[in-house]
Amino acid sequence: MSEQLAKSTPPLVPQHVPAPVEDKVISPWKEAWRNFKKNKIALVGLSIVSFFIILAIFADLVAPYHYRDGNLADKHISPSAEHWFGTDEFGRDILSRIIYGARISLWVGFFSVAGSVIIGSLLGIIAGYYGKWIDGIISRIFDILLAFPSILLAIAVVSVLGPSLKNALIAIAIINIPTFGRLLRSRVLSVKEEEYITAARAIGMSDFRILIHHILPNSLAPIIVQGTLAIAAAIIEAAALGFLGMGAQPPTPEWGKMLADSKDFIIQAPWTVLFPGLAIMLTVLGFNLMGDGLRDALDPRMKS
Amino acid sequence: MKKSLLTLFALMLALSLALAGCSSGGDSSKGGDDDKVDPNNVMIYGRGGDSVALDPAVVTDGESFIVTEQIYEPLVNYGKDNTDIVEGLAKKWEVSEDGLTYTFELEEGVKFHDGEKFNADAVIKNFERWAKSKDEEKFYYYKSMFGGFEGDEGHVIESIKADGEYKVVFKLKRPQAPFLKNIAMSPFAIASPKSLDGDKLSKEPVGTGPFKFKSWKPNDTIVLEKNADYWVKDLPKLDGVTFKVIKDNSSRLNALTKGEIDLMDGLNPSDMKKVQDNGKLQLFERPSMNVGYLGFNVEKAPFDKKEVRQAISHLIDKQAIIDNFFEGTAEPAKNPMPPSINGYNDSIQDREYDEAKAKELLAKAGVPDGFKMDLWAMPVARPYMPNGQKVAEAIQANLAKVGIEANIVTFEWGAYLEKTRNGEAPVFMLGWTGDNGDADNFLYTLLDKDNIGSNNYSRYTNEEVHKLLLEAQSTPDEDTRAELYKKAQEIIHEDAPWVPLVHSKPQLAGASKIKGFVPHPTGSQSFGDTSFE
Repeated sequence: MSEQLAKSTPPLVPQHVPAPVEDKVISPWKEAWRNFKKNKIALVGLSIVSFFIILAIFADLVAPYHYRDGNLADKHISPSAEHWFGTDEFGRDILSRIIYGARISLWVGFFSVAGSVIIGSLLGIIAGYYGKWIDGIISRIFDILLAFPSILLAIAVVSVLGPSLKNALIAIAIINIPTFGRLLRSRVLSVKEEEYITAARAIGMSDFRILIHHILPNSLAPIIVQGTLAIAAAIIEAAALGFLGMGAQPPTPEWGKMLADSKDFIIQAPWTVLFPGLAIMLTVLGFNLMGDGLRDALDPRMKS
Repeated sequence: MKKSLLTLFALMLALSLALAGCSSGGDSSKGGDDDKVDPNNVMIYGRGGDSVALDPAVVTDGESFIVTEQIYEPLVNYGKDNTDIVEGLAKKWEVSEDGLTYTFELEEGVKFHDGEKFNADAVIKNFERWAKSKDEEKFYYYKSMFGGFEGDEGHVIESIKADGEYKVVFKLKRPQAPFLKNIAMSPFAIASPKSLDGDKLSKEPVGTGPFKFKSWKPNDTIVLEKNADYWVKDLPKLDGVTFKVIKDNSSRLNALTKGEIDLMDGLNPSDMKKVQDNGKLQLFERPSMNVGYLGFNVEKAPFDKKEVRQAISHLIDKQAIIDNFFEGTAEPAKNPMPPSINGYNDSIQDREYDEAKAKELLAKAGVPDGFKMDLWAMPVARPYMPNGQKVAEAIQANLAKVGIEANIVTFEWGAYLEKTRNGEAPVFMLGWTGDNGDADNFLYTLLDKDNIGSNNYSRYTNEEVHKLLLEAQSTPDEDTRAELYKKAQEIIHEDAPWVPLVHSKPQLAGASKIKGFVPHPTGSQSFGDTSFE
């Protein structure tokens, strides 16, 4: 397996294994992008995600109203020219709240996953590279974390820390640590048998340098793929916590919280539930499509 | 951080142990029951929160009283839909002319659920338990209704003596106008003398009432079963009552629609039409005798300044709140007591919604640009506030208009009450349903300095109000009393320790087979003569 991989993969860090002279040298990232571009569905995912990112960044300019402003007298106005998505029970513009909500969902998605990637990767690499009892301890911690249904664990963490958006983010980061940890550990286990690692060790490179300069870069592709998919999951988890009242606190326009607040009016004012639901669905779909595309593009075994 | 991680780890361990425990436990409540309880004749009552304790003397919340009302009975009772005094465990009573001696003649042949005899001794033991305890933490409601404990200067009761086995004589130090109404209150019902030691009563209540306590699964169900030896003939008609906690108002209505429960309180006013349109359901309206309010802890800056409190009063649009969250089943409140009670001051001018005026007052108080504060909102549906969280959110939005940034805070119901009572909340939403229909039970109980640490959650102190309220207590003439209460309301209005929000008409929904159920203004009633068709 490892031999075959070494042959068919242009190594991700080309300076250590020179490519055969007859091929044109292209960076593996460029090649991945070329593959990604061919995948129409992945491009749709990318555009959805970009759309929401732009919304989130320019929320102040794009949103017609402030997410907090409303007049109780304007309760439950159905979608109209003035309020495209209607108003909620506090008379607040739902479109504006969804636009500001994009900021919150993406923020939670990116940062919770960034947190779990950093901690998970670190633990995973240490476990995979050093093995023995260190591996034993770290892997058992992962097992314990994985033993709980993730949303239950998140609820437990938030109960301890107290309900707030920041704590929901921490909770989501914690429940994703073992996913990345295990991914990296298995990756390290296979990479560390490669010849170039043996070579690096032979010339007296320190463990730290080997980890940072060889093993980590060679494990980046699966992290990116898993990370993209994890953002989608994190957005759903944040919405679930918000729905249960354990995430964002009012008047923060978190999508899950918006759903929870308006579920009583599903018959009288369906737009109050419909649009936040659609927003969650679309972003999650976008990240999933993009993640699938990335996997196809980055996985050398998928190459034709 | 380290500590919370440790706690988390402990929590996870506990959780895994608990989960492991579940598999082997089995259902202990099932099977092997001697009584011929017909499950179809057991009424399931759905409500938003659990009881705090089942010893009525140590609580003040309606969720506890609605259960204890089935288990215990007081010496005298209220009328079925009013607060007039009728007989209870005492079949007759006499009041001396000076209003200082009350003689009660007790029902004979009444037994407690544990077989103990109900007699004059039992009554005395109960009152002595409260009066001699001097325990302000535990029996704070006794202290607040009877002016203190034995030996205290303000304590109204001088002595209680038995005159034969079935006669009790109460001697008072000074006349207390609402005395009979006070001893009719749920907290002062009589428990079995054998159960009075220690704290047993809170978990295993024993009274003389139509239903016996069977089991309590915290935050889930309290099961009561019929007292077959009940002293009133042919009652109770039901074989049992089960109180079930379903936190969310609409889920509770769903359960009712599906027939999982038979009666529920805390109906979302927006769901009233659904109930009316459903042929299998009926709507009940509780007569209004409550007030929902926003309280300030007057000991905490910046709410120690009366201008800040008045400014916030000017920022709350009560009518809009009622239109949006009560669907008209409430009226705006301007006084800390409802208009149905004698002594209500209708001449008081409410503070209307006015941002400019609020800003002016804030500037005067030295905080022209607003401030940050915590706004506590109750976690469960209350009769005076079916949806506290949402009303809090509406208030939050209004406060933001003048730069006051409110952070909504909540706790589990029992903790919420305790923390608020200890003065931890700077600004909080709460309410009160009158327990005896007297102005004293609103103004004195909720706003007198004697009751700080008990029901005076704002920790409001005003000597003049204190004097007026005490005078009203010992004045027998109702018109003079009313005048005193009206004066007190004027001062309270100026000091603004609260923003009175609403007087609501709480809505209940039940299956159409329920007969004989009459919602009582105090918020709790016996289900002794409730039956299924």
